[in-house]
Amino acid sequence: MNDNIVFGQYIYKNSIIHKIDPRTKLIMLLLIMIGTFLIPSDNFILLLIALLIPLIAVVFSKISIFKYLKSLKQIAFVMLFSFAFQLFANHQGKILISLAINFSVTNIIVAILILVLFFLIRKYLPFKMLIFLGLVILILYLFRFPMLGNAFKMTQINIYEKGLIHGSFLILRVFTIILASTTLTLTTKPTDLTNAIDWFLMPLEKIKIKTSIFTMMISIALRFIPTLFNETNKILKAQASRGVDFNEGKFIEQIKQIVSLLVPMFVISIKRAEDLADAMEARGYIPGNKRTKLVKMKLKALDYILLLATFTLFILLILLRCGVYAL
Amino acid sequence: MFIEFKDVSFKYPNNDKNVIDHLSFTLEKGSMLAILGHNGSGKSTIAKLIMGLLKATSGSIYICDTLLDEKSIDDLRQKMSIIFQNPDNQFVGVTVKDDIAFGLENHQIPRQEMLEKISKYATLVDMMAFLDANPENLSGGQKQRVAIAGALAMETELIIFDEATSMLDPKGTKEINAMIKKLKNEHNKTIITITHNLEEALFADRVMVINDGKIVLDGSPQEVLKEQTILEASGLKLIDGIAIIKEIEKTSLLSKENKEKICEALWELTFKM
Ligand SMILES: Nc1ncnc2c1ncn2[C@@H]1O[C@H](COP(=O)(O)OP(=O)(O)OP(=O)(O)O)[C@@H](O)[C@H]1O
Ligand SMILES: [Mg+2]
Repeated sequence: MNDNIVFGQYIYKNSIIHKIDPRTKLIMLLLIMIGTFLIPSDNFILLLIALLIPLIAVVFSKISIFKYLKSLKQIAFVMLFSFAFQLFANHQGKILISLAINFSVTNIIVAILILVLFFLIRKYLPFKMLIFLGLVILILYLFRFPMLGNAFKMTQINIYEKGLIHGSFLILRVFTIILASTTLTLTTKPTDLTNAIDWFLMPLEKIKIKTSIFTMMISIALRFIPTLFNETNKILKAQASRGVDFNEGKFIEQIKQIVSLLVPMFVISIKRAEDLADAMEARGYIPGNKRTKLVKMKLKALDYILLLATFTLFILLILLRCGVYAL
Repeated sequence: MFIEFKDVSFKYPNNDKNVIDHLSFTLEKGSMLAILGHNGSGKSTIAKLIMGLLKATSGSIYICDTLLDEKSIDDLRQKMSIIFQNPDNQFVGVTVKDDIAFGLENHQIPRQEMLEKISKYATLVDMMAFLDANPENLSGGQKQRVAIAGALAMETELIIFDEATSMLDPKGTKEINAMIKKLKNEHNKTIITITHNLEEALFADRVMVINDGKIVLDGSPQEVLKEQTILEASGLKLIDGIAIIKEIEKTSLLSKENKEKICEALWELTFKM
């Protein structure tokens, strides 16, 4: 039940992507992230190649595309905003579109009405983001002509070639990175991820930095996130049954209600932390001590092929950036 | 002697009162001791002292004839394990498998051996089908069984159950008590069960009643159960059989002979259950 609550999390499927070693996936994600930032920001072909990698993974992961879209949705607003910003703020290159904007009283009222209407019925709408985008375009269009009465102010909005290119590039770059990281989290068990991180941090142990304590912290956190969610739900229900409504009342009331939630949460968590420390110590856990591992990670042929391929692409990209066009 | 307490006292730093008050007792290898006492009488504190999770304020504790101190503790802990009251707060792993492995990983058991032990002890507690399940999808009784498997996998001589059933429903309680009996009879472990439920003490070899950090009764279950005034004074609820015997003794509806016969039969039945 709580699998749905905790972020866009691991979904079990028997797919080839799930079987890739977590270390391979982590390295690939890292290279894709750095790579997309190294690509010159008008080279769409290279970016599409980078995007192709997570896209192939999405197809082979056997996980419904909607699960991916769900996690993209959370960042959609930021993406649209930065796109719009690039579009209007970048004044380089040829003018592509020139829009006349007429501010008149009727125009402004109509625009406000449309927006208010949208926010009122937004709860019941599917694809809110797209509809919102459509409305913004509609409003811009309406502003081209002064409806009834004179415009008291007139401006021009110019969209430049570079603005469009950079805006689209930015959106595609963010899309690539988000898609790649979502693929990682949807197809990799959290424990496998911590094990992979643990493995990468191992060299630090050589110079006496106790990284195992850090990874133990992560895995304990992963273990207790769902439990804490359940507990919060239980307390919320208990409070609700006593007539507390977290969505109503004055500001002060709401603060009081939130405190009434936080206090028991704190008390439970502190008790839990003490118990857990006792249980761990009793079972022979000594922070920083050497431990054997139940999970054994082993790179398979597929992992080597993937690593080789991503590294090759990455090195080619770096050579390109360094100006070795002879390749 | 497996455990020896010599005049042990303990005080929590934020509390003036001695929670454990000049306590001395010994426990033999291979026997089962039940520690009884009401809430706050100091039972868990005794368990934590044995496990070295708390340090005695005065007096000394010996485990297998070795003084329990900072130097010996890591070695001595390999001989003991404990199952706590709250099934959630001692589940360290993200899955059942991980949790059973936790102690083994700490003791640096090689991976192959670890896998064998996990399947052996998961089978013993009947959790083999749940190896990849996470704690959110398990009942309290199942979680406690995983904790038992984790303790058994470390193959320690002593296992302490600190009110391991008190947060479980009747079904879960039954499961765990059956498990404890099995460990006692078939696996020859040294066992301490801590409880405030008299019935759970009946199948122990020896019962020790604690009140305010002192031992008030110590003997076989039969001997201890006879001391009803002390038990009641220690804040323990009588078990049903004994309560019925008391009522029968008071009644005037039965002849003296019949009363004695019925009471004797009830007394025996109580220990058969
Ligand atoms: N961390 C602590 N700090 C201060 N006092 C404590 C602490 N833990 C327990 N105590 C006190 O010590 C006394 C004995 O506690 P203990 O947990 O040993 O009791 P118990 O017999 O196990 O009770 P229960 O049946 O509730 O588990 C209690 O009076 C309790 O209030
Ligand atoms: Mg206790």
